Amino acid sequence: MNGLLATFERELRAYFVSPLAWIILTGFLFVQGVVFGYIAWVLLGDPMSAGRVAPLSIFFGGFFFWPIMLFVAPILTMRLLAEERRSGTIEMLMTAPVSEAGVVVGKYLAVVVLWLFLWLPTLVYALVLDYHGDVDWGPVASSYLGVILIGALFLAIGLFASSLTRNQIIAAVITFAFLLLLVLSVVGAFLARDPVVQEILGYVNVVQHMDELGRGIVDTRRLVFYLSTIGFFLFLTTRALAARKWR
Amino acid sequence: MIEAQDLSRRYDDFTAVDGITFSVAEGEILGMLGPNGAGKTTTIRMITGFLPPSGGTVTVAGHDLFRDPEAARRQIGYLPENVALYPDMRVREYLAYRARLQHLSRRAGRDAIEEAMRRCLIDDVAEQIIGTLSKGYRQRVGLAAAILHDPAVLVLDEPTVGLDPRQIIAIRQLIREIGARRTLLLSTHILPEVEQLCNRVLIIDRGRLVAEGTPGELRRRAAGHPVVRVTFDNVSSDGLERLSTLDGVLAARTADAGSFELEHDGARDLRRDLFEMAVARGWTMVELYERKPSMEDIFVRLTTRDQAETADLSREATRARIEAHDELQRRRADELSRRRAAEAEAGAYEDEDTVPDPAQDNEDDGRQS
Repeated sequence: MNGLLATFERELRAYFVSPLAWIILTGFLFVQGVVFGYIAWVLLGDPMSAGRVAPLSIFFGGFFFWPIMLFVAPILTMRLLAEERRSGTIEMLMTAPVSEAGVVVGKYLAVVVLWLFLWLPTLVYALVLDYHGDVDWGPVASSYLGVILIGALFLAIGLFASSLTRNQIIAAVITFAFLLLLVLSVVGAFLARDPVVQEILGYVNVVQHMDELGRGIVDTRRLVFYLSTIGFFLFLTTRALAARKWR
Repeated sequence: MIEAQDLSRRYDDFTAVDGITFSVAEGEILGMLGPNGAGKTTTIRMITGFLPPSGGTVTVAGHDLFRDPEAARRQIGYLPENVALYPDMRVREYLAYRARLQHLSRRAGRDAIEEAMRRCLIDDVAEQIIGTLSKGYRQRVGLAAAILHDPAVLVLDEPTVGLDPRQIIAIRQLIREIGARRTLLLSTHILPEVEQLCNRVLIIDRGRLVAEGTPGELRRRAAGHPVVRVTFDNVSSDGLERLSTLDGVLAARTADAGSFELEHDGARDLRRDLFEMAVARGWTMVELYERKPSMEDIFVRLTTRDQAETADLSREATRARIEAHDELQRRRADELSRRRAAEAEAGAYEDEDTVPDPAQDNEDDGRQS
């Protein structure tokens, strides 16, 4: 894993000196704020649901949650390797005494940290709710676990897509298409009659996973699925980087 | 320091490098010479470990590049053909990153950065953003990054391309300085550069090694017999006949009115005899010199398809050779575009937009005419 730390630091710094991270952070918080405000407003106007529905469980896994996940992950990951290939800096990087795995994991950890940084301010919403009433912190914690796990999987897929091309837009589109397929597996699971197909789709059904976690159910099978799939995509990225068929 | 054994690289049906074997001894400055598209960059990329070869092995300072890549790469400082830097970083920041990639400790890194910046004359732009630097500065930033870890071998791929003459002189001076202490592999297509800098030269053409030796050796080999050119002001009509009777002269011809070129066996200095003959005959000698073949002559001879033809130094032949060289350049350009297409196919996920589109070009031509 030689070169992990150097790549990690450079990548994280690159995010924050470019306008990209700040634009995404601003847009992200704006949309999240509107969504949260809307949820709170609707619940306020409906005394029947007050006390029965936790606002944060709508916030995580609600109608606005998935589009945000689908758009933000590809934008964050698209440049990671594609840009190095386009500009040619990959040649310097891959002739330095570092391992492919070190470079891949370093870049991956940088984007995961950025992902955490994006979600960190949303903790304020939980604190606001706690100030005005009771918050069940268990489901909140498992919801954040879901955001981190699913986000980490999406980012690993995005990083892999970025290793396949030197065009950032293509990398983003590949990632988006793949993630969309993953999210739409919930429809497949709903329509499937065959129990075996349902079972298989259940493993990749990120929407259902998020739903479970939002209700506070932490299933170790899910943890294993996410961690191993992330590992698999990072491995694929390392192989793609080592193949170096390009000029 | 570098041992390359039977190195080759194929892209589908195109062979970019075809079984090149050479070594670079410690302390040597080895020049790699070849026309564009000959396979220099591909060879260099295999030596630096960027491109895996289709066949053959590379050893750097005793470390096999493929079995022990990190140890081997640690010995190499590499300046790629297109120096790619991160445009949004500051110079010092970039060098610090490169130092960390080379596993230098922070303190050692700081010292190495100051030293490298001083030697590459970039300390005045240390805090500038790389994207705002001129090409010459960027080239020197790349060079500074390549020498940061004081590598045993420095590999430079066309280090002076795109620089202005003053920068070229500065970079060459630096190369000479580094070459005095370190092993250096230098690729170039600028011929005088090779003559000025290198102890030994490899000439590569169409992916093969076509010649190897010191610049002097290559010159001797390419030259055939030495040729003396002499011009008289008032030579008699039997001048040519007289000259061809001189000892050791193999062939004599008239080059211009009053000018002759004499090919001789090189056993003795013909210029002395010529002078004596001129004195004896009362001819006024206005010009006398021995023609040494330039690196250009050697290069063209070795990389032109028909190598068997002997050196014919008359004017017509020179003109023909220039034409042959132009023809060669045209063929080279064709081959390069073919090779690009082949490589674009080889790289499965290569971008379409980097490949020159012949259809597009034709369209443009059509519009102009």
